[in-house]
Amino acid sequence: MEKEFIAKLKEILEIEDRELNLSDEFRTYEEWNSLAYLSVIALFDEEYDIQIEEVEFKKLRTVGDLIAAAQNK
Amino acid sequence: MNPFSLEGKHIVVSGASSGIGQQCAISCAEMGARVSLLGRNSERLQQTLSQMDGTGHHIYVVDLTVEEDIKTTVQKIVADSGRISGLLNAAGISGTLLMKSVSGKKLDEFFQNNVYSAYILTREVCRMGHFAQEGGGIVFFSSIMGSYGETGKSLYAMTKGALQAATKSLACELAPKNIRVNAVSPGLIITPINENLPHITDPSKREELERMHLLGLGKTEDVANACVYLLSDASRWVTGVNLYVDGGYTAK
Repeated sequence: MEKEFIAKLKEILEIEDRELNLSDEFRTYEEWNSLAYLSVIALFDEEYDIQIEEVEFKKLRTVGDLIAAAQNK
Repeated sequence: MNPFSLEGKHIVVSGASSGIGQQCAISCAEMGARVSLLGRNSERLQQTLSQMDGTGHHIYVVDLTVEEDIKTTVQKIVADSGRISGLLNAAGISGTLLMKSVSGKKLDEFFQNNVYSAYILTREVCRMGHFAQEGGGIVFFSSIMGSYGETGKSLYAMTKGALQAATKSLACELAPKNIRVNAVSPGLIITPINENLPHITDPSKREELERMHLLGLGKTEDVANACVYLLSDASRWVTGVNLYVDGGYTAK
């Protein structure tokens, strides 16, 4: 699940040339922007059946947080 | 180097087993490209292949209405021939039907074949790791019917209009990756599929059609040449455009 989520996140952000770490703060990625945000919301919804509110999403800081949120139905 | 050359480019052509798509595959190869040909029928793809110059071409039998098959086919194409530098979405269906005869099922069939297939194929070709890093060109096959009306063409026209709309937004979305997205809108092209249909063989109907196309009816080469331009570096500053290749149909 962890690997799979990271692969999907890399695809959304189009990060081809480096690995992502669980401790990375994803908002600091150069590739992060409002369209990436919408794509991650869509990923939660389509792949994990989770509808996440903006207030909730704002609390997530790291890649690990994203994975935890995706697992937490 | 000739700016219209496709030397060193790897082009994917859907609908390559017949008609305009077939001629596009042949013309791309003639201009130096390696071509991956997609179609439903292996025999007819082989026939196209036998008419092509150069080497490094591959054929893929695929039903483009099956999303999973599109995904695996594109992965196979990249594994076989490397990253993709251009895509011609030539696959599609055509027909004339009055509104009263258009069922929900027909709507599904036309949108599936003409819109969803091309969109999903484009999505997979643009997926990370699949498209050439230096960018390239994507062409959607619209029609003059995507912008002009004709009795019995509403179903077909809706799908072709959708492709023109997609072309513009995708041009915006993919410009940062230097992928140019354009449409061609052919007028009536004579192909082996339609040359025996009533509206072409009936002399008075044919005459009327020829009158509407100021330069007469088109050949598949006319559209293929426009596609070569849109795939080549000659069109490096052209994106989001709908290029009419219609013998003057839309001039009036």
